[in-house]
Amino acid sequence: MGLGLIASRAIRPVNFFSSSRFLLRTIVSKPELQSSAAAADASPEPDLPPRTPVGGARVHFTNPEDAIEVFVDGYPVKIPKGMTVLQACEVAGVDIPRFCYHSRLSIAGNCRMCLVEVEKSPKPVASCAMPALPGMKIKTDTPVAKKAREGVMEFLLMNHPLDCPICDQGGECDLQDQSMAFGSDRGRFTEMKRSVVDKNLGPLVKTVMTRCIQCTRCVRFASEVAGVQDLGILGRGSGEEIGTYVEKLMTSELSGNVIDICPVGALTSKPFAFKARNWELKGTETIDVTDAVGSNIRIDSRGPEVMRILPRLNEDINEEWISDKTRFCYDGLKRQRLNDPMIRGADGRFKVVSWRDALAIVAEVAHQVKPEEIIGIAGKLSDAESMMALKDFLNRMGSNNVWCEGTGTQPNADLRSGYIMNTSISGLEKADVFLLVGTQPRVEAVMVNARIHKTVRANNAKVGYIGPETDFNYDCQHLGTGPNTLKEIAEGRHPFFSAISNAKNPVIIVGAGVFEREDKDAIFSVVETIAKKGNVVRPDWNGLNVLLLNAAQAAALDLGLVPESSNSIDSAKFVYLMGADEVNLDKLPDDAFIVYQGHHGDRGVYRANVILPASAFSEKEGTYENTEGCAQQTLPAVPTVGDARDDWKTIRALSEVAGMRLPYDTLGGIRSRMRMVAPNLLQVDEREPATFGHSLKPEVTQKLNPARFKSAVENFYMTDAITRASKIMAQCSASLLKK
Amino acid sequence: MASTVVKSALKAIRERGLGTFLRELKEEGYLRCLPDGNLLQTKLHNIGAKLVGVDKFGNKYYEKLGNTQYGRHRWVEYAEKSRYNASQVPAEWHGWLHFITDHTGDELLMLKPKRYGIEHKENLSGEGDEYIYHSKGHTLNPGQRDWSRYQPWQPTKAE
Repeated sequence: MGLGLIASRAIRPVNFFSSSRFLLRTIVSKPELQSSAAAADASPEPDLPPRTPVGGARVHFTNPEDAIEVFVDGYPVKIPKGMTVLQACEVAGVDIPRFCYHSRLSIAGNCRMCLVEVEKSPKPVASCAMPALPGMKIKTDTPVAKKAREGVMEFLLMNHPLDCPICDQGGECDLQDQSMAFGSDRGRFTEMKRSVVDKNLGPLVKTVMTRCIQCTRCVRFASEVAGVQDLGILGRGSGEEIGTYVEKLMTSELSGNVIDICPVGALTSKPFAFKARNWELKGTETIDVTDAVGSNIRIDSRGPEVMRILPRLNEDINEEWISDKTRFCYDGLKRQRLNDPMIRGADGRFKVVSWRDALAIVAEVAHQVKPEEIIGIAGKLSDAESMMALKDFLNRMGSNNVWCEGTGTQPNADLRSGYIMNTSISGLEKADVFLLVGTQPRVEAVMVNARIHKTVRANNAKVGYIGPETDFNYDCQHLGTGPNTLKEIAEGRHPFFSAISNAKNPVIIVGAGVFEREDKDAIFSVVETIAKKGNVVRPDWNGLNVLLLNAAQAAALDLGLVPESSNSIDSAKFVYLMGADEVNLDKLPDDAFIVYQGHHGDRGVYRANVILPASAFSEKEGTYENTEGCAQQTLPAVPTVGDARDDWKTIRALSEVAGMRLPYDTLGGIRSRMRMVAPNLLQVDEREPATFGHSLKPEVTQKLNPARFKSAVENFYMTDAITRASKIMAQCSASLLKK
Repeated sequence: MASTVVKSALKAIRERGLGTFLRELKEEGYLRCLPDGNLLQTKLHNIGAKLVGVDKFGNKYYEKLGNTQYGRHRWVEYAEKSRYNASQVPAEWHGWLHFITDHTGDELLMLKPKRYGIEHKENLSGEGDEYIYHSKGHTLNPGQRDWSRYQPWQPTKAE
């Protein structure tokens, strides 16, 4: 860690370099270097080992003329104008200790830990709040800076309890680390420590407010990123407390992030409390699948158990936040798991059987029905490889009725621009007008909502919303509830049309809930009319977006999982559900044979005849494409449970039992098959924009149905098999969704 | 010595009858003396020795001081005549038998903790898994803790 480096440099005797130079000079053989003048010339240089910016940060100069030069410990760095002293030090490779400063939050400057010495300044300055000026000479390792930090640390530790052994933050605590690096080795404090009553922030965040050092990061996070004015600071001096003013829970869907930004153990994870220490955990960098955003996460596991989920930095997708559903769904991975193949006997009871028997029965039944009576439905958590295998297998069986739940009966998979987020998630920050059609990003895609909130805060962007009544955490104009409002805008009769047409970078976001409507083509054609009239799609700006709901949707549409006929379910005799729990099976004939392949005993198993256990996203390697068209891969963090197998392996085995062997045996093989169908799925971690625009679409003859838009997500905390199995999510929906 | 043995035998036959005498002869293990030399040696050793005590399993503890090699002056005659082994000696007699203490097992039994002192059990290795002690974490311990970290779906709960 950089802090340790500084500390060791501070401890190192000053004459270290001079003595080493003396040693060097005796070795050097060239006479010109042995002369004393040359040695004096070189003297300032050896003090400066080449430095790399903290965390490999890169400096982006928006305007090359704005570059200024400052000196950090005598080392010159070029930085853009407007950077703070702390940022300049980071560019110079010096990590300044800090508690209140956070690069994504506003500057508070109240912890005073980042004090540095600046030449010609009478006092040490708080580097996080001080703008760097040209030619500034910053000194970070002088006795003045060292003493200032030691003093600040002593004051902070005055009221901080010494309960590190029972504190959940122990081992990953900023205060712990920095007091080791910069603190004094003894305290002079003998009086009683202050104590503060703990606050109840709900089922997710545990508070031990006595440990709070009043950095106010959580307060700033709640108001600036989460967009809820729930947290605040009360009192002054030693009576200062973080709280909610009145007794209430924190009702943000981003509340879990305050656990990460809290530099001490005041805010910790309640489900994780006293479960593990951070040094026992193995981190696996993977992808979240609870929504279509594909937030980058790190799964921390101990042995076969997922202990917690933390966000991973990805500026293009989730920055460094994740939603509460992502963070706390992990206990669902340990409950209601399907661990053995099962067959429903004649008495209606499930009986555990071996894989061989289960596959033999499935293959036998699949051969008994007519090919057009076979259908396959991929679930919302399926990875691309499994969907490819499912489609290939059913195609070999003679059926082409394969689709992914949530895409409707007649999905439009022809034009990629028709179902992905063309602006890209980070691109939303440039927008100045948003029109949300039938989508509530706050529950459908929290990280997208956080971007919109950020844009609204930064650019004063205007947001118009068409859909049922819902909560927004930013200013939003509720334009209407049904497609009629949309039509008014398209015809220019609505005042919001002028907002769109006058905007520089307008954005229209259509929710994937619209896919389920009968008149979706008509709605999309109206939206495209608005886009055309409002100049939303230009060569340099594509503001026409679809916000998907599920992790599997984009990849499913890319792979062409489109049913041949829209009502194939009415006559199906053999249904292969690959983790699909939300398919309406009411119309299915009673004698249909249902195979459920999945990892949770959820809605899908109740009508199933055969259950094939599969591994969850934390246990397999799979490709997922998020709503903006960026393919990402999960990595296995923990072993699978019981006899479960990866989805694609089961299908591959089944194809062999059925005598239709699929030609791939490895993930590499299945991916080279995917390369033929959808090459963009192999461009991992790279967003692949759509090639063709909406203009290629055929004319739509459908009529608009004036029925109101429905909300696509009823309960934010329970949207899929994993989250429905989770106890924490059940607690959240019980306590946080209460109206 | 031999005459005293014969005399006492004849006396016993006269007092209790031949049938009872023969049954006792068998129960006391004299018949096993023929194939088992160790038992014969113990029986011979017992003559003239002092019976110090009998534990609750029926093992007899003898002592003979004087005219005996030091270290061989305390011994046990197992209650079990055919399949005997050292683990049949309970803890309280172990100390006396191995010259750890001069207190007899009956005296030491007073010190046995009431609440948590458990019954002595001989080592049943080789007698079958169900007789063998398995520690708490052992796979074969019937009360072993369930270490699986997930809860499987129960098909009976459905419907």
